[in-house]
Amino acid sequence: MHAKEVEGNGVRLPLTIDRRSVVIGAVAAPFLLRGASAAEAIRAYSIWPENYARPMLEAFEKATGIHVNFVRFSSGEALARLIAEKGNPQVDVLFGGPVETFTAGEDQGIFEAYTPPSAADLPRRFKSEKGMWTAIADDPLVFMTNTKFLEEHKLKPPASWQDLLDPAYKGQLQMADARTSGTAVTRIFSILQVNNRNEDAAFAYMKKLRQNIQVYTKSGGGGTVPVGLGQAGGGIFFIVDALFTRQKGYDVQISFPEEGIGSAAECIALVKGNKNTTEAKKLIDWATSPDMQSQLAPAKINFLPAHPKVAPDPTLAAILKGANIIEIDDKWAGENRKRIVDRWVAEVLNAG
Amino acid sequence: MSIAFHERRRFALPDRVARQGGLLLIWLLLLLFVVYPLAMLLQRAVLDDGGLSLGTLIGALKSSSNLRALRNSLELAGLVGVAGTTIGFVFAFTVERLRLGRTLRWLIDRSTFLPLISPPFTTSIAIVFSFGPRGLITHDLLGLQNVKVYGLASTFAAETLTYFPIAYLALRPMLASISNSLEEASFSLGASRWRVFHTVTLPLAMPGLANAFLLLFGCSLADFATPLILAGSDFPVLPTEAYLQITGMFDLRSGAILSLLLLVPAGLVFLAQEWLVAGRSYTTVTGKASAISSRNSASGIAAGCLLLFCAVTCGVIVYFYALLFYASIVQAFGANHTLTLDHYRIIFSEGLPAIKDTMIIALVGMPLGGLYGIAVGYLVGRGKFVGRKAMELVSMLNYALPGTIVGIAYLVAFNDKPLALTGTATILIACYVFRYSPTGIRTTIALLQQIDRSMEEASASLGAGGYYTFRHVMLPLIMPAFFAGLGVVFIRSMTAISATIFLVSINWTLITVKILENMTEVALGPAAAFSVFVIAVVLVVTELLNRALSYLTAPSLRISRIGT
Amino acid sequence: MDATSLGIKLDGVSAIFRHARRGDVTAVRDLQLDIHPGEFLTLLGASGCGKTTVLRMIGGFQKPSAGRVFFGSRDVTKQAANRRDVGFVFQNYALFPHLSVFENVAYGLRVKRLPADEIRLRVEDGLQQVGLAGLSDRMISELSGGQQQRVALARAIVIQPRVLLFDEPLSNLDAQLRVQMRSEIRRLQKELKITAVYVTHDQEEAMAISDRIAIMNAGRIDQIGTAEQLYRRPVSPFVATFLGEANLVRCRIVDVAMDLLTLGIADARWSISTHARGLVGAEVEAVVRPEAIRLSEPQRGFPGQVVSSSYLGSKIEYLVRLGDQMLKVVQSDPTFGARFAEGAEVEVTLPHVGVQLLGEAVHQSP
Repeated sequence: MHAKEVEGNGVRLPLTIDRRSVVIGAVAAPFLLRGASAAEAIRAYSIWPENYARPMLEAFEKATGIHVNFVRFSSGEALARLIAEKGNPQVDVLFGGPVETFTAGEDQGIFEAYTPPSAADLPRRFKSEKGMWTAIADDPLVFMTNTKFLEEHKLKPPASWQDLLDPAYKGQLQMADARTSGTAVTRIFSILQVNNRNEDAAFAYMKKLRQNIQVYTKSGGGGTVPVGLGQAGGGIFFIVDALFTRQKGYDVQISFPEEGIGSAAECIALVKGNKNTTEAKKLIDWATSPDMQSQLAPAKINFLPAHPKVAPDPTLAAILKGANIIEIDDKWAGENRKRIVDRWVAEVLNAG
Repeated sequence: MSIAFHERRRFALPDRVARQGGLLLIWLLLLLFVVYPLAMLLQRAVLDDGGLSLGTLIGALKSSSNLRALRNSLELAGLVGVAGTTIGFVFAFTVERLRLGRTLRWLIDRSTFLPLISPPFTTSIAIVFSFGPRGLITHDLLGLQNVKVYGLASTFAAETLTYFPIAYLALRPMLASISNSLEEASFSLGASRWRVFHTVTLPLAMPGLANAFLLLFGCSLADFATPLILAGSDFPVLPTEAYLQITGMFDLRSGAILSLLLLVPAGLVFLAQEWLVAGRSYTTVTGKASAISSRNSASGIAAGCLLLFCAVTCGVIVYFYALLFYASIVQAFGANHTLTLDHYRIIFSEGLPAIKDTMIIALVGMPLGGLYGIAVGYLVGRGKFVGRKAMELVSMLNYALPGTIVGIAYLVAFNDKPLALTGTATILIACYVFRYSPTGIRTTIALLQQIDRSMEEASASLGAGGYYTFRHVMLPLIMPAFFAGLGVVFIRSMTAISATIFLVSINWTLITVKILENMTEVALGPAAAFSVFVIAVVLVVTELLNRALSYLTAPSLRISRIGT
Repeated sequence: MDATSLGIKLDGVSAIFRHARRGDVTAVRDLQLDIHPGEFLTLLGASGCGKTTVLRMIGGFQKPSAGRVFFGSRDVTKQAANRRDVGFVFQNYALFPHLSVFENVAYGLRVKRLPADEIRLRVEDGLQQVGLAGLSDRMISELSGGQQQRVALARAIVIQPRVLLFDEPLSNLDAQLRVQMRSEIRRLQKELKITAVYVTHDQEEAMAISDRIAIMNAGRIDQIGTAEQLYRRPVSPFVATFLGEANLVRCRIVDVAMDLLTLGIADARWSISTHARGLVGAEVEAVVRPEAIRLSEPQRGFPGQVVSSSYLGSKIEYLVRLGDQMLKVVQSDPTFGARFAEGAEVEVTLPHVGVQLLGEAVHQSP
């Protein structure tokens, strides 16, 4: 072939055969690079939002040198994923999230039993019988309302479940959707408990409450900023989210119903089929012990510590003083979760 | 022949083998990434651990909440279709039939382009903050109390504003192609401009209008993101319900069934479009680009009204995007309006993995989608083989179906062996490539229709085999289709969510999913910052692609190769 | 220059197009065609007669439903188009719009991977031959129709094909250009001594440049021969009326003699000198060219009446009624001949020689 021969066209083509190998190389590179992961790293789904999970997991890395690769999902989503991935688990640990998610997960067989040393110090409600999950924090529900809204409507902060049925709240309440959020499930079970597990009575109440709902949010804390901004008048949230809203500078009121309101343990569990077992167990040990929980208050993360040896933050304790926090039977809740949520979807959600 | 020459062919493959090999490969890809997932989805919906279990399926079909969601979806889609087509038509008419100043034309071009390249939720954010109970406009400006912002009205408004540019882009070339002389003839016969419009222009535009309506109907039907934020709990729609079923209730089966419910109207829309478009000749995008429109089909008050309408709509769009940008640079929109770059800091630190992942996926998918698009387009547009029509339809499936269906299908199909792709980038890239390359396929086919077959015959008569002809004659001529394919796959990879939200994993996540996360936590700042970033990247890349295309096809820039 | 031109043979070739709904269409029926090496053969016919299909079968773009195609002694029926080494000039030129003039012409040479020097030489040579030297850098869209046609021609000839095929190449040009281009094509073909097959519907064009013409009708060749042969001795009414104008005069054979045949038109008698034979009493058609009929003042000959007369400058066209038939008469040199007004009675003098007889009962002799 003549040396000076050129492939003459009036147009330069983007790909010639010669350059093809370069392109293939460039395309393959990210995958090859991606394959080499850090030697010591765990993968986790975190139900805790980023702003709570990140500081804690970074502290863990600082303490142990183990990096945690995590993705945040709301409790329903995380559970759905873990169940869908049963055949091919993608993570090692489920970090944070209300206990009802964990009992449901336990039923689905997605966890592996592991009892960390701290479990011995924890009351019965903070650990699974079979050792499938352990609590790392406690999180009571609260009523949160916008101060200006209360002033405009000359209302006091709601002190009873019945207060929320007030017509002044029509279209003003935001709270979580039970299909995706554990906050909602805890809320529903609180209402059930308050009604002595009389489901019809409880659902009658919730149907009435529905008339005042502006929107059911996808995540538990989704309504906090709207309430803070005044776009909504109030809602029911976990205290950790409510206090965070206040910390951000929004003017809100926190109150409790005298009939009682529930609290959800926040837990951690080892995922069945995990790949980095030693490191994962280290994380569970660390999170269930004072090592992590003593860092909550300084980081202004308003969970109640689960470990008895860690004292709650004084401000937090002050707010909870006098509040009627009732206990929900987690086992019963786990067994009936799907049925209750289905009924809620059919009778309450779609009643609007 | 007695002239000595080297007849070295670099490709020893005979034409036929290459062609059939290519055909086989494409069929394999289609079966694997289009047919198999949908089959798995169907199976999941219909079969139980035992066998055929239609009970749940029928129960789901009869369930009142599902039917309600279906009704809502159809209602919303119908409204959006009508409104969007009307607005799109007004815009198209204004641009094609009125004398427009430079500024207004530029404004219209820019503001109709923005919604097409935006990540989801951009209009939703703006609407909640403008028209919500404490909205800028409803509360602060108009003093209205407790305005209901979640529901049909705002979802309808958001979707119409998001999708009308599609109608506009579809109607413009159609209006341009209606011959001047028809309207002039009518005019010269003494008809008033209005009469000309409704007796000549409108009837001729009917097929185009119907097509635009179907396009928008399909878009709204499949829209997952906007209703997620704005529809609220009072107005459930199917894609969102399917998503919530799966992600919230870990109920893959119900989700699958719900998506099948969605399949019926979506399928009908697709078939209607095929029927409408069949046999009609396409005018492609490279039409006449007249700087100033030379027609004047409306005058005085009518023209004024049209121009005002367009200007106002553009103004609304600009306002929304300005709001978005503003939200990205203030501390906490609605509460704390100090300017800050914190949100951008966050997205480039905490959000960096999502940015990296999305860019990698988009940049890898882009050339794959482009190549696949012209390969299939060429086979379908020029090939003569059994099952050609079938190939065309199958290749369009993932595009025609709502994203939720495709996403769930991929989740179901690729979660277990034999092909466990969940958790990889492959599944995300495959989803984007097979879902969005049909634009490239369609454009290729349309371009090919305009290239006379004698071009290929001439090349053959000069001794070139199939591959040589393709590379040296066809490929340069369908280059615009290649770039169109590149552009669409890239833009969609940056902005789509409804399919891929099911496919993100611990290893690979997407910016759009991050935006959704931030939206659900009402962390508006980062959501807005991410959105602005995506829009900026898309604008830059599309500009680069445009330049590359015009460079590659501008004759004056080619290098002379004589005797060098 | 190639010394050995190639003959082409089509042996029993048919082309049937299948339509799902419209049924089968036979475009070419059992065609037999022998093209001599180095000859310029034109396929002439109206649109739809199958001439383009035949051309495409020679070129390899259409597979015959039956029969075989030979280039010389080689059976090329199954050979792909890109291996047949033909130069094809298309009706719409089919020039590559994204390539320059140079690159268009060089295309076939690049396919063969010839050295760049040789390509340059041949392209410039080719452009010179078609009179486009100096335009190599232009883009196709910058050229006029005639120039584009020449580029297409150059492109086909630089590859030095064994056969040149033309598919109505001049039909998109204006009349004057057509005349000019056709002679150039012919000149080139003669110079290069390449066998050429040319398709057209323009009979003047065909007659001007062809060695032989094949007149096609409904998928068959009605007659093949030189222009003169076809004009003087058409074998069918179709050929007679297709090539030039013809009057088909209906008459009866009244008497048959050695070289003489007497025909009867109504009561009148008309003798022609011919080798044709037929039965007395048979009905025949006589092909009489308009220019062969003489009109004069009424005397004893055929009585006719002028129905219309058109003055066309170089000639006058008359429509004359003879009995129950209409005859077209063309009279050149009107300055000298007599002129007849409409309605005038004239004597019609039919020619004595050169009259072709058509009809089932007629036997032609060579």
